[in-house]
Amino acid sequence: MTALLDSAALNQVGDTGTTLARLIRAEFMKLRTTSAGWLFIVGFIVFTAAALTINGFGSHYQLYPQQGLVSRAQGLAEAAQAHSPAGVAAIAASMMTSGQRVGVLFALLLGVVVVTSEFANQTAAVTFVTVPRRATVIRAKLAAAACCGALFWLVGTVIAAVATPLFLYSQHVSTSPAGWIVVRSVLLNLVAFVAWGVFGLGLGAVLRNQMASVIAAIAVYAGSFGAEGVFTALYNLFHQGWLLGAPVIAPALASAVMIMSGQAFPDAPAGWVGGVIMIGYTAALVAGGIALTKRRDVI
Amino acid sequence: MVVLLAVVVVGGLVWLARLNRGGTRTDRARTDGAGPGFPGRPLGGKRIPPALMSQGRIDVCGLTKEYRGVRAVDDLSFTVEPGRVTGFLGPNGAGKTTTLRMLLDLVEPTAGTATIGGVRYADLDQPIRRVGAVLEAGAAHKDRTGRDHLRIVCQSAGISLARADEVLELVGLGVAGNRTFRGYSLGMRQRLGVAAALLGDPQVLILDEPANGLDPEGIRWMRDLLRTLAAQGRTVLVSSHLLGEMALLADDLVIVAAGRLAAQGTVASVIGSMTYLSRTLVRTPELEKLAAVLGRDVVVTPADDGGAYITGADAVAIGDAALRAGVAIHQLVTQLPDLEAAFLELTAGKAAIR
Repeated sequence: MTALLDSAALNQVGDTGTTLARLIRAEFMKLRTTSAGWLFIVGFIVFTAAALTINGFGSHYQLYPQQGLVSRAQGLAEAAQAHSPAGVAAIAASMMTSGQRVGVLFALLLGVVVVTSEFANQTAAVTFVTVPRRATVIRAKLAAAACCGALFWLVGTVIAAVATPLFLYSQHVSTSPAGWIVVRSVLLNLVAFVAWGVFGLGLGAVLRNQMASVIAAIAVYAGSFGAEGVFTALYNLFHQGWLLGAPVIAPALASAVMIMSGQAFPDAPAGWVGGVIMIGYTAALVAGGIALTKRRDVI
Repeated sequence: MVVLLAVVVVGGLVWLARLNRGGTRTDRARTDGAGPGFPGRPLGGKRIPPALMSQGRIDVCGLTKEYRGVRAVDDLSFTVEPGRVTGFLGPNGAGKTTTLRMLLDLVEPTAGTATIGGVRYADLDQPIRRVGAVLEAGAAHKDRTGRDHLRIVCQSAGISLARADEVLELVGLGVAGNRTFRGYSLGMRQRLGVAAALLGDPQVLILDEPANGLDPEGIRWMRDLLRTLAAQGRTVLVSSHLLGEMALLADDLVIVAAGRLAAQGTVASVIGSMTYLSRTLVRTPELEKLAAVLGRDVVVTPADDGGAYITGADAVAIGDAALRAGVAIHQLVTQLPDLEAAFLELTAGKAAIR
């Protein structure tokens, strides 16, 4: 297409219009050119550092129980358990994923913001006039939210990967950093970060209002931890065994079950159950978000 | 764990409060327009080939939008021709913005169609290469620079990012391109909106109240720009409730009231169709005699300066009657209603909040 005005830029060759790849890059430009994206990253780094510190103290007292807090015999037993190869591996895995169980909140909220900031800042009209195929826009945002989730995971994991060996060395214990239990935890956390980023995107696309979506996201996450209490109370009333495993239907517990391989709470089901439930919620929210975005008027 | 969760929640709320503050700070924008030092660059002298002109025609046919039982737009039909500036006029709440948003596929019509060159906006291949739209002056992220705002549109549409700099120069924002939108005056925001609309060098321009908040110099700039774009053969549809501005700018008018079409045509024909609003100024030494021969249907209102306004008979009828009665006429002038009178008459009683 030749420019009607005298435009060197428009007459350049290679102009092929909108593609999904270009839209994804545009989404990253949107994040890069506002302060919110950077605030999230800085916040996450500070959070991870704090979590590592707290986790470090916790692990130290596991390895070297304080006298007076527990009986001497119990302390020795616990210390021996923590010093065993399995114990050290567990500590290493815990250190390597420090704070990530809560850190996924950053991915969740950024996913929410990727969609809702368009409406909060009235840029949705410009976005959809530029690209009227709204489902494609949401898909590009989905890719951006997933990548951001992975980026948070990478940042957190790199920081932990520097700190964990130093910590283990300072505690006079050692384990192979490539131990399967450690690698497994780290990789499952990647899945969780990506899933929560996309979960937030779907939630934002469904609700559209930024304030409502952020509150809903935090409520869903924090409220999940109440599910255990609710189902325990129900169990005490009805004595149905399955009720003890049922808290896994709460998204944050499903995610925890997936990562911690069924050890997230007593009677938790196997890890894959959590994974399936988490992915199910995410897929449902994204499908709903795309359908609503296509249908709703942009005012 | 609980402590960490609390930290995150509090942090999230603090951040939210910050976002919220940013979102409502629009009113801080100065209204001093662009001011001197915003010359803007003259457009190229190219013209759209006549064979392509018809692709710029806008057809609105039976367009209807219902919100919870209220018909914001009610069976509206009109056409907008290329190579002309068409003013889209109506009182607040007449359905202008809803109509423009239906044209751009942002709002789904309850019934009817709106097409550009016979094609729905959503079906255009590269929409921003065909249609440029200015929707609201506040439509950019407050933390983003004007240049970044435009570059994101370029990236999404798959056009060279260098185009952003070209349009910034074109609208006279070259210097302000690296400042954040938060600090833009209302006039600068309007210019940025126009810059975004021109990114794809479109044949059709749709502007919703682009003159809002502009100072006189900015209004003249906008007028010259839109007239130049129309002279190049482009279609320019511009909504406004500023009548004086429309009288200077528009070739054609589409007037809506309460979601319905009140009038369409050239500015002259819309005003001319309201001859019942016209009046004739007469100066004569024998006003009573003239009034007597004109008959009962004619209303004669004496003016302060000795003349009189006559409605109900045109200049020809008055002149003939005066000749027959032997009344001397010193002055006989037909006064057509101005756009404002026509507008108020056409939309009378329909401007109420619905």
